[in-house]
Amino acid sequence: MTGFGTLAQVALREIRERGRSKAYLFTTLLTLVIVAGLIVVPPIFQPDTEEAMIGSIGGGNDVIIETAIRLANANDQPGEPPSLDIETISFTDREEAALAIEEGEVDAVLIDGREILVETGGASFGGSSIVSTLQRAASTVEIDEVIVEEGETATDIIELLTTDRLAVSTVSGDDPRDESQWIIAYAGLMLLYLAILLYGTWILTGVTEEKTNRVVEVLLSSVRPWQILGGKILGIGLLALSQLMGTLIVAFFALRMVETVDLPPIQISTVLNLLLWFVLGFLIFAVLFGASGALVSRSEDAQTIALPMSLAAVIGFFVSISALNSPESPLAVVSSLIPLTAPFVVPVRTALDAIPLWQHGLAVVICIASIVGLTYVGGRIYAGGLLRFGSRVGYREAWRSAGE
Amino acid sequence: MLGFLGPNGAGKTTAMRSIFRLLKPDSGSLTWDGEPIEPDDLLRFGYMPEQRGLYPKMRAADQLTYFGRLHGMSRQDADSSARRWLERFGLGERMDDPVESLSHGNQQRVQLVAALVHGPELLVLDEPFSGLDPIAVETMSDVLREEAARGRAVVFSSHQLDLVEDLCEDVAIINEGVVVVRGQVSRLKDAAPIRHLELDVDGDPTELLAELGGVQTTRSDGSRLTAIISAETDIRGFIGRAQQAGKLRHFAYTTPSLSDLFREAVR
Repeated sequence: MTGFGTLAQVALREIRERGRSKAYLFTTLLTLVIVAGLIVVPPIFQPDTEEAMIGSIGGGNDVIIETAIRLANANDQPGEPPSLDIETISFTDREEAALAIEEGEVDAVLIDGREILVETGGASFGGSSIVSTLQRAASTVEIDEVIVEEGETATDIIELLTTDRLAVSTVSGDDPRDESQWIIAYAGLMLLYLAILLYGTWILTGVTEEKTNRVVEVLLSSVRPWQILGGKILGIGLLALSQLMGTLIVAFFALRMVETVDLPPIQISTVLNLLLWFVLGFLIFAVLFGASGALVSRSEDAQTIALPMSLAAVIGFFVSISALNSPESPLAVVSSLIPLTAPFVVPVRTALDAIPLWQHGLAVVICIASIVGLTYVGGRIYAGGLLRFGSRVGYREAWRSAGE
Repeated sequence: MLGFLGPNGAGKTTAMRSIFRLLKPDSGSLTWDGEPIEPDDLLRFGYMPEQRGLYPKMRAADQLTYFGRLHGMSRQDADSSARRWLERFGLGERMDDPVESLSHGNQQRVQLVAALVHGPELLVLDEPFSGLDPIAVETMSDVLREEAARGRAVVFSSHQLDLVEDLCEDVAIINEGVVVVRGQVSRLKDAAPIRHLELDVDGDPTELLAELGGVQTTRSDGSRLTAIISAETDIRGFIGRAQQAGKLRHFAYTTPSLSDLFREAVR
């Protein structure tokens, strides 16, 4: 059997044993349920129509309430239930109205079209503030009254208020960045960050476990260290990729099902780019996690030794958050070319269309070169650390003891 | 079959690990059939480390199949060999159980199968008998004898010298990293400068011994007397004289045991 045949055997064992372990099946299922739940459940509890009870004293209130309803429902699709429905109750005096508010019979009371009486003045329970809706309606009515002589009608005012009046263009002449790109960039970043840390930790604990239960001595009697580390990274990587894809597919269909979020048009190139950077990022971190895992014999020590890698991932994450807002800043450019931060920053900038092709290409080359280099260095540290049981082994000591 | 002996810390495990490139020897060379050992040769060797190492949650048969495959066997061959060996060790019923659910002795059997599963030319076993009950020791001994009879080289280390004496044709004794005694057990014993003499007789045996000459030490336990005498001493006619002294219940004249050779060698 060739060297890579052995590597494939190691990978196959990882897939088979991990894939059928209860922990893996359970976490996979749990992830899918949580993802699907987060998408499907909230709209169920969110009523289609927000209902408000408004008290009314004196005149001039009806026109405000009517305008509020028309403003809120201006963007509703025909055939769907309205977004806002307001019912009115008339009161004769202030004391009666105040009592009704305290009893919870009404959300607020309009007085003479000039004043609004509420319990505490904050936003009403349930999120959107009926007060601000009424405020906006009252302004609209007033604008309407001021300019009605000019020939405009209230309906036109409402249209003016609920549609964008200014065309947006950019200095560079590109299409303006729209919100959906930002959402994709942000979601992609979260996904990469969580996946790289989670699956990197699998590598770490997997390596340490083999050392803890000493099976590594049996393995190394016939298999070379690079075959074990390589097979482990390949096997866990494929499992990780399948779990990630499964999650993405479930999320996609759940979003389709509920239709509450307007699904941004996700292009195949975006998905491929995300996968490319997941693979690059995973490989860089996997080699580092694997080499570090070989330095400790107990799982308690594994978390400590993982600290530098976790820290690097956190830094990459925060740099990417800043890149979300200024994707062409010097920080974003520099961190795109550093192998430990690039897997987080580059996909964000790509999703925002804010990275020149040469930078993207250079980042990929730098990452691949680092993976090759790290595999050599990490592989040697891994080999040197594996058979030194007991206390934690230093990186330099492991490097030296594996020297030819 | 070679018994590899030495006091604690003499370098037995170090030597065995060196064969499998788990350690780099400071000096010396490793050869097999006169050729330096290459990494690919290791696929034809089997190793049972002193510190047992198995995947605790993996099923016994799957695990052994995996080790077989790592040594270049096909899936079918590895699987059938793993199952055959587990049957042989009486683990037929437990072969699909996770290793962690097996008793210490059974785990040790699985560990031995891990070294055997690919039919190696050379078996290197570090303390294979430690912690086993007498029945398990017997099964393991039988298997090692069979493997040796099939022409396979078996090297194992042990502190149970009676067992080594029973099993091994050859022994090597090392002390502080150096082989101090090496050879066939029977020849080593013949070549030893001393003999054991045991005697249980009515009357006073000390007088009898005094006549014999070359006596180095004596120890008496009730009426039974054990003496170490020079190998040169002529004992012809001694039984006759002993019988004249009184009723002779026990008489033994033997070469020294392996323990004696061992103690002598590492002193």
